[in-house]
Amino acid sequence: MRLWSALVLSFFVCVLVCNEAHANEGALGVFRSEMETLKQMVQGLQSQVGELTSTVKSQNEVIQKQSLKIEALERVKELTPQQATAQPIPVGAPRTAGIMGFNPDIGLVGDVEAKLTQNKADEKGNNTIALKELELNLAQVVDPFSRLDAVISFNDSLENQNVSIEEGYYTRWGLPLGFLGQIGKFRSKVGKQNLLHLDQLDTVDYPLVVKDFFGEEGLASSGARLQNMIPNPWDIPIEITGEILRGNNGNSFSGISRRPIFNSHAKTYFDVSQDANVELGWTTLFGDENPPITIINSTGSAVSYTRPEGQDRYGVKVFGGDMTFNWFLPEGRKLKWQNEIYFQDRTSRTHANSRPWGFYSLLDFRLSQRFSAGVRFDYLEPLNVQGQDHHTIGISPYLVFWQSEFADFRLQYSRLDFASDREKSDNALFLKANFLIGAHKHPVQ
Amino acid sequence: MNSKKIFFLFLGLLFLSLHLATDLWAVQKIKIVTTTSTLANITKEIAYDKVDVYSIASPKQNIHFYAPTPRNVLKVKKAEVLVHQGLDLEAWRGPLLNAAGNPRFLGEGNFSIDVSKGISLLEVPTSLSRAEGDIHLYGNPHYVVDPENAKIMATNISEGLAKAFPQDADYFRKNAEAFNRKLDEKIKDWLGRMASYKGTPIVTYHRSWSYFVERFGFVIVGEVEPKPGIPPTAKHIAELAKVMKEKSVKVIIKESFQENSTPKKIAHETGAQVVTLAQAVGETKEARDYISMMEQNIQLLEQALSAKKGI
Repeated sequence: MRLWSALVLSFFVCVLVCNEAHANEGALGVFRSEMETLKQMVQGLQSQVGELTSTVKSQNEVIQKQSLKIEALERVKELTPQQATAQPIPVGAPRTAGIMGFNPDIGLVGDVEAKLTQNKADEKGNNTIALKELELNLAQVVDPFSRLDAVISFNDSLENQNVSIEEGYYTRWGLPLGFLGQIGKFRSKVGKQNLLHLDQLDTVDYPLVVKDFFGEEGLASSGARLQNMIPNPWDIPIEITGEILRGNNGNSFSGISRRPIFNSHAKTYFDVSQDANVELGWTTLFGDENPPITIINSTGSAVSYTRPEGQDRYGVKVFGGDMTFNWFLPEGRKLKWQNEIYFQDRTSRTHANSRPWGFYSLLDFRLSQRFSAGVRFDYLEPLNVQGQDHHTIGISPYLVFWQSEFADFRLQYSRLDFASDREKSDNALFLKANFLIGAHKHPVQ
Repeated sequence: MNSKKIFFLFLGLLFLSLHLATDLWAVQKIKIVTTTSTLANITKEIAYDKVDVYSIASPKQNIHFYAPTPRNVLKVKKAEVLVHQGLDLEAWRGPLLNAAGNPRFLGEGNFSIDVSKGISLLEVPTSLSRAEGDIHLYGNPHYVVDPENAKIMATNISEGLAKAFPQDADYFRKNAEAFNRKLDEKIKDWLGRMASYKGTPIVTYHRSWSYFVERFGFVIVGEVEPKPGIPPTAKHIAELAKVMKEKSVKVIIKESFQENSTPKKIAHETGAQVVTLAQAVGETKEARDYISMMEQNIQLLEQALSAKKGI
């Protein structure tokens, strides 16, 4: 009986224990499930926090970028109120609306020269200041095949105030065999400096030989020009130019001739190195002689030549050679050495000298963005001085101050020892200002 | 027939035969002339062996003031395609085209490719006055130094070539896409390397780094030139040095063709460093192509900025 009671009691104890264990297991399961739910909630929250963090980060970047832009814009506004960044306009869109967009490019170049000189024979005034030239440049494409360029000059010299057409020529591209044609009035393709306008020169004036042979401002004449590059399989640039010019231009040629002046020019070019190049050119001109003139001979007396037989047909032959060396140095500096030589073969004696010749050598050094300096040496056996060993020698050092691309000031000293015994040596000091407004592009020479 | 006539007839025949010989002699490649060396490099990446590319302006000279040579005239005269940077960067482009007289490049024809199309321009002037210096009519044209713009340029070149030579259109487009993919990878790398320098104030010599600065997040606080194209004055240099000290500017960026003396003087006074970066392929020895040019620019800036940061 006691054993039976013990067994029943043990059974009940076991049942109770088992029930308790079962109850604990259920609670544990619930706890686990709750834990899982909580874990998922934490993960969800973590992911939300991550997203928020990245959003804040990207917003911070945007804010930083905007701050940079605002700072930059404020700076631009401070420095250049006219030039705050604006909405981009369509690239290449004309800025002038309507029919005005077809107006030609217009530029105005001013050239004021002050001069101190010892030369008492100077008719233009010894010590003077003058607006030497005001050049109006007009250029525009005419149609898909051609363009028109014009340079009109207003002069304020002592003798007369006038307006002259310096250049006015029509260019036609795409002629047979690749020729380019020009008609009108243009600066003749003679050497290098003759092609340039006064404001484009390194010095304040043209070289003596150019002035003596072709006039105070070089040879510019009405006529026609054909130009081309000689094609060759080696791609050597050889440019040839032929011109027919009105015959009454230049000091060397007749003032009354009805026959034209013929000019031919050839040039080639080669690279000496990556930073240096050389250009070589050759000019030949044929024209009529000048009419009779009064000249001063070597003894200082005036002599008049009268030719009974009229003009010589193509009695003047001018030959010239030019060489330009360019060397591009680091930091925007540049050295240029330019030389031109001309000599004449004249069949008559309308000018005193039947074999005039001359040359110049110019060294120009661009020292910096602001300054350049150079010197030109001139040698000339002029047209109007007779006799051997009579030559004019000139030396002209100069300094240029480049205020900007559009305004510069030149100081030049020139010493001239004249060929004529009558004229004393001259010392001259020039101060010249060039300034330009509007559109002004120099043609490729 | 007299001797003069014979001479001129001989000259005429010689010219004609040279003309014909040149055409026969020429290798059958598309003759392309580009205004800059950078454009020449990108064009080669797109057209490879199908083209013969000649670049006009020397990368070692200021692009604004380049003077075209007779060789340039000849090359433009003979070219089939002209690739240029558009806007008014190459002020000499018009006179060069006039001298060459190649009718293919007049107007907006198929053979003249303007790579600036589609580029968002910065610093577009709201009014035009030279009182602001040598400003540009259409906006800042120095967009090449933003590599994202190089991708637009490459696409413009490939589309331009595809239009002119439709038979090779797929070839040009495929190569442009490959070039742009290469650039994408590099841009990611460059942006990553420059990220820690965002907001760093810098000074440049000329206003030619605006696109680069915009891309990499620097801030330009001044230029050595008082206004674009105007040489620095003593007064401006003093003012700039003051601003640089106030804003702790540590880097002055210049190009190889700009003078060293003024930036060095300012750097000496302010403790900044002068860094010469390239704007064009070939401007420096390391800038062999567009990607190496930009890589070199990033590397030099990284070195300068990390040195100043003391990394």
